[in-house]
Amino acid sequence: MDSVAHRLSAVGAGAALELRGVTRLFGALAALTDVTITVRPGERRAVLGSNGAGKTTLFNCITGDFPPSSGTIRFFGEDITQFPPYERIRRGLRRTYQISALFPGLTVQDNVYLACRGVSRGRFSFLRPGQNDALMHATENLVQAVHLAAVKDQRVAELAHGQQRQLEIALALAGAPRFILFDEPAAGLSPTERRELIEILTSLPAHIGYIIIEHDMDVALRVVESVTMMHNGRIFKEGPPREIESDPEVQELYLGGGHE
Amino acid sequence: MSLLQSTQFRPDPSATTARRAFIRAWPDFQNPAAWLVALILIIMPLIASGFFLIEIFATTLILGIIALSLMFLAGYGGMVSLMQLTIAGFAGYMVAVFGVSGNANISLGWPWWLATPMALALATLFGTLGGALAVRTEGIYTIMITLAIGAAFYYFTNQNWAIFNGHTGINTVATPHFWGVDWRADIAFYYVTLGIAAICYFAVQYVSRAPFGLALQGVRDNSRRMAALGFNPNAHRIAAYAFAAFIAGLGGVLQVWNYRQISPGSVSVGACIDILIIAVVGGITRPIGPFIGAFIFVLLRTFALDVLIKFGLDGNRFRLLIGLGFLAIVFWSSDGVIGLWERWRRHHVSSAKRTGGGRHG
Amino acid sequence: MARFIERHPAWALIAIIAIAVVLWLVFAIWPPGLEAAIGRKRVFLNAVLNGITLGGLYFLVASGFTLIFGLMRNVNLAHGSLYLFGGYIGYAISTWTGSWILSFIVAFIVVALVGVILQLAVFRRMEGQDLRQTMVTIGLSIVFADLMLWVFGGDFYQIQTPAWLIGPIQLPLLTAIKSSGEPVYLQYPLVRLVIFAASVVIGVAMWLALNRTRIGMIVRAGVDDRDILAATGVRIQLVFVLVFALGAGLAGIAGVVGGTFQSLSPGEDTRFLLASLVVVIVGGMGSIPGAALGAVIIGLAEQLGSVYIPTYAIVVTFLIMVLVLALRPQGLLARR
Ligand SMILES: Nc1ncnc2c1ncn2[C@@H]1O[C@H](COP(=O)(O)OP(=O)(O)O)[C@@H](O)[C@H]1O
Ligand SMILES: [Mg+2]
Repeated sequence: MDSVAHRLSAVGAGAALELRGVTRLFGALAALTDVTITVRPGERRAVLGSNGAGKTTLFNCITGDFPPSSGTIRFFGEDITQFPPYERIRRGLRRTYQISALFPGLTVQDNVYLACRGVSRGRFSFLRPGQNDALMHATENLVQAVHLAAVKDQRVAELAHGQQRQLEIALALAGAPRFILFDEPAAGLSPTERRELIEILTSLPAHIGYIIIEHDMDVALRVVESVTMMHNGRIFKEGPPREIESDPEVQELYLGGGHE
Repeated sequence: MSLLQSTQFRPDPSATTARRAFIRAWPDFQNPAAWLVALILIIMPLIASGFFLIEIFATTLILGIIALSLMFLAGYGGMVSLMQLTIAGFAGYMVAVFGVSGNANISLGWPWWLATPMALALATLFGTLGGALAVRTEGIYTIMITLAIGAAFYYFTNQNWAIFNGHTGINTVATPHFWGVDWRADIAFYYVTLGIAAICYFAVQYVSRAPFGLALQGVRDNSRRMAALGFNPNAHRIAAYAFAAFIAGLGGVLQVWNYRQISPGSVSVGACIDILIIAVVGGITRPIGPFIGAFIFVLLRTFALDVLIKFGLDGNRFRLLIGLGFLAIVFWSSDGVIGLWERWRRHHVSSAKRTGGGRHG
Repeated sequence: MARFIERHPAWALIAIIAIAVVLWLVFAIWPPGLEAAIGRKRVFLNAVLNGITLGGLYFLVASGFTLIFGLMRNVNLAHGSLYLFGGYIGYAISTWTGSWILSFIVAFIVVALVGVILQLAVFRRMEGQDLRQTMVTIGLSIVFADLMLWVFGGDFYQIQTPAWLIGPIQLPLLTAIKSSGEPVYLQYPLVRLVIFAASVVIGVAMWLALNRTRIGMIVRAGVDDRDILAATGVRIQLVFVLVFALGAGLAGIAGVVGGTFQSLSPGEDTRFLLASLVVVIVGGMGSIPGAALGAVIIGLAEQLGSVYIPTYAIVVTFLIMVLVLALRPQGLLARR
């Protein structure tokens, strides 16, 4: 509905995310080599690439789960390369994990509440939230938004896979995100759940940009406006979805490569 | 951590949502047995003799408080700290050092209402620093580091005469007297202990559902994800150590008032491990566990001698009994005796249902 | 070595200066001013040698502990009990047969067997549950301690040093020059030196076994990455049992050593458990060279501490641990 230009003007100029020469080594293995990416605020982008291409590692470097071996990362102009993960999150960065990283011992509601609490004040509060606590309302809304209201008092360990994936997304939407990294959110979802996922992604406010890692081209191409192709830890192609889809090199390496 | 994770409290699926949320927050208010226990504890001085009041119940409550601090760290934070008794002992030593005791060359002679807060503050500081050290590594290392801290403190109290008076320790420590009451007299002291134990118990219960406690459980389950939600996991861990140290310090103050003396024997490695045993035997997933464990421990310690002799066995084998009992619990229950009891009850209920259903069908 | 200097020039410089100072202190004749300030050189040399030889003993205990932890993630808090048990066995054998050497062999075999039984009967059932295993080792340490107290009582035992090792020997280390100009050399108990040499030999043998044999390779790979073990398809249980037996057996030998140059009594188990913990925390989990380095550091700290600051000696040991945890939490020589 809204054009790229419209979104840009809504947020202002300058890059949301800017990676320069990011390299990450695991011992002798270079999982990322000299990656340079610029993402505008509000931009929605897919990262594609075969297994082991370094997509998740790219996310880990951006969030600080694993710091890059070299290179710099800027988030809305600020150099966050040396920041611990929680400082980056507090600045509006969010992520989901490819393998659900939830709190199995807590209920759905507590999981989401923690996410809301993590990006607001009072993380160390010794006072229980009251009925009219603003964060409790935010939690309720978020639980509702990802269709988990029916199971909100269940322990996460008892949820079905699809529900866990949904909760994973809810955790990334808490607070006021400015930029979100989705790591294969659709993996293992049923067609209905996929539709719900697409709906959630497309109904995000226009100023929230994201990068999504997604193997399913049908999902990926419906929710993004640009695509980055990765292979062996390097970026080898960037462009709008149509262009990428029809690129012969990409076809050979990835789309025709029988990755399924 | 599998022990901890496999034993989370499973709420009863049949309860309604709101009720469940309330029970989760305050399980005790729904439980008639809890009210009964509370009543018995309150009227205990009418029932029990001074010996039982102090040697059994006050001692149980004090050990329970110290073990509660371990339960808080282990159950909610996933950090099994063996230095909780050391912190309690440190608080006890500080009461003796700052307050009044028979060792006038060491004690500074402050009144109890100054010495006690000082002791608590220093114990909390001790625990916080120890915690800051322990969180440098994760998981099973915690046990090693905290045990090393505990053992180092024990050997230090033995070696050091200037502050800790070496292996003789500090004797005839003064206890509070005010409003015309000797608060160390049996009944008064029992109520002091009961009151503080209750406060600690409900505080832990309350905090476990407050943002701080929830965040701690989040750190226990997945600290990397907590960081990706905006939390600083190590700061939470250290804060948990501080909170637990304050509770342990309260227990230590009560303990030194109880025995009126403190010596390296009170902070020995064996005693540190006893606290772990108490917590694990009682169950480390809920705050009531440590008190149940302490009760069993104190009963065994007090009566094992007589009982063993009655059965024609060597009365000195109390520790053997403790060790074997502990091993049995670790083998058969992942949540101490509460876990055993619950499993038994569930089994009982389901088998009763089955036979009942059979008759109708 | 060269890489370390390249990477941490400041630390390397400090280390070199410290080594130079120690060497000077050991080999030079002390000027009278120094003797007035910190006491006789003989006292210092004795403390250093005591520290190093005690380090040898600590190494024997801690190397087994660190191997068992490194490979099986089992924090064996009953390790001190195995030490004490070995000591009592050694005492029994040496008073019964009069053979010191035999007491080592028997202590090794018996305690290793205990280790095998523990691994097969207990720990194999709870693989991967490190907290539960640790709890079990705590329970075992209590049971063992009480059983040993039952059998051996609370007395002190000392294992008889064999005649051919009794008495001091003269070392080529000057302690002073007499006014007549005659040099005075240090006298030091032979048995401690022999035992230290033996622990060095054992250490080197372990290192070689780990680095040059097939089983050693498997063990090392397992310490570095546990998943590899399952992937290689080796008889992993057999390796576990062997390592547990070796670690326990070493603790048993250490018990005989400790019983010879110190004494055996209830409470020694805790002392040596603590020593192993600190040595391994300082040296680095799962690393044999780390255990050796940590053992010597802690041995020296304890002995020098007890000579020069007797009421704060334990604090020195503890501060070393704190320092290591603060600067290099994984331990000095650990890989990660
Ligand atoms: N924690 C890690 N330790 C060692 N190697 C890793 C780690 N994480 C990723 N790798 C390696 O980095 C490469 C890229 O992995 P990843 O980023 O997960 O790929 P993708 O998400 O594109 O499938 C792979 O070869 C993988 O084995
Ligand atoms: Mg991936």
